[in-house]
Amino acid sequence: MSTPLDKEIVKYLTEDARMSFRKIANITDKSTDTIINHYNSLIESGDIRGSTVVVDIEKIGYQGIAAFEIDITRSDEVTSEKIMETLIVMPNVIVATKTVGEHDIMVLAVIHDLEHYQQICEEIGQINGIKNISSDIWSGNKKILPKYFII
Amino acid sequence: MEMARQKIDKIDINILRNLQRDARTKYSDIAKQSQVSVDTIIKRYRKLQKRGIITNTTLLLDPRRFGDEVIANFNIDVEPQSIKEVIAFLEKQPNIKFSTHAMGEDNIFTIATARNMNEMNNLKEKIQSHNMVREVKTSIWVDQFLLCPENFELEPLMEAKR
Repeated sequence: MSTPLDKEIVKYLTEDARMSFRKIANITDKSTDTIINHYNSLIESGDIRGSTVVVDIEKIGYQGIAAFEIDITRSDEVTSEKIMETLIVMPNVIVATKTVGEHDIMVLAVIHDLEHYQQICEEIGQINGIKNISSDIWSGNKKILPKYFII
Repeated sequence: MEMARQKIDKIDINILRNLQRDARTKYSDIAKQSQVSVDTIIKRYRKLQKRGIITNTTLLLDPRRFGDEVIANFNIDVEPQSIKEVIAFLEKQPNIKFSTHAMGEDNIFTIATARNMNEMNNLKEKIQSHNMVREVKTSIWVDQFLLCPENFELEPLMEAKR
C-alpha cells in the first residue's frame, strides 16, 4: 500500500466495508472511478484479502474460542500445507497458521460448549500426521482484531 | 450457562453467508438468490444489526502489508493471583493485539504484531521481565495465515428457541 489515498480507502472500508465507492469519492474529493481503480489494485496486490461481516459469536450460539497448538509428524506424505488445507475447511475453524517455535500449527476455532470443544479436539486428532495437540479455551465473547482475524 | 443464541431463518443465513464471503455483495444479488425483494433483504440486514448479530462489516487485511511483518502468539505462565494484573500490563503494550485468560497449560494467551523480529524479541523480553511472569513461550506465525469466516455454523440456529 503506497499512496495516501490507498490508506484513506482502507480506513473507511475497515470501519464499514459496505461504504459506497461514490461516498468515499465525495469525502476524498476524487472521482468514483479513481476509488474503484485503487480498490482493485489493493485487492490484486493482496493488501486487502477480502471483506467480511463481523458477527457477535455469542448471539449465534457460541460460548467461546479455543486455540489448538499442533505438533505434526513430518514425512513425504504428510506436509504442514496438507494438514492446513484439511483444518481450514473444518466447520468452526476460522484461523489456521503455520508456526515456528513451540508448535508447528496454530488453529483458532469457535466452540459451542465443552462437549463441542472436545469433539473438535478429537476431529483434529484424527487428521493424518498429527502428533500432539495442546489447547486453550478462552471463555466469553472475545474480540480479537476483526480486520486481521475475523472475530 | 445462559444461551444468547437467537433464532434466524434461511433468508438471514443467506445474507450472513454472502456477506461472510464478501461484505460488499449487492443486496440485489442476495435478493435474487433468496427469491425475495431487495427491500426484504435491506430490512432483514438492518434487523440483524439491530439484534446485535451483525456488529459491523470490515476489510480483511494482510498485516504484513501494513508494516507488521511479524505476527506471534505468546503462551504466558504467570502467578495465578496476578492474571488480571498481567493482562492489564499486556494490554498497555501497543504491539499486543489481543490478550485473554486461557484455561490450558498456561494461563494467558496473547497475539502480537511487530515491524520486525527485533521488535518482537524486545516485546518478549519486556513480558518476561514482569515480576509475576514465570515463563513465556513464543510461536511465530509463518507464511500467509488462512482465514475462513464461512466456517461458523449458522444452520442449527434455525431450530433454536428464542
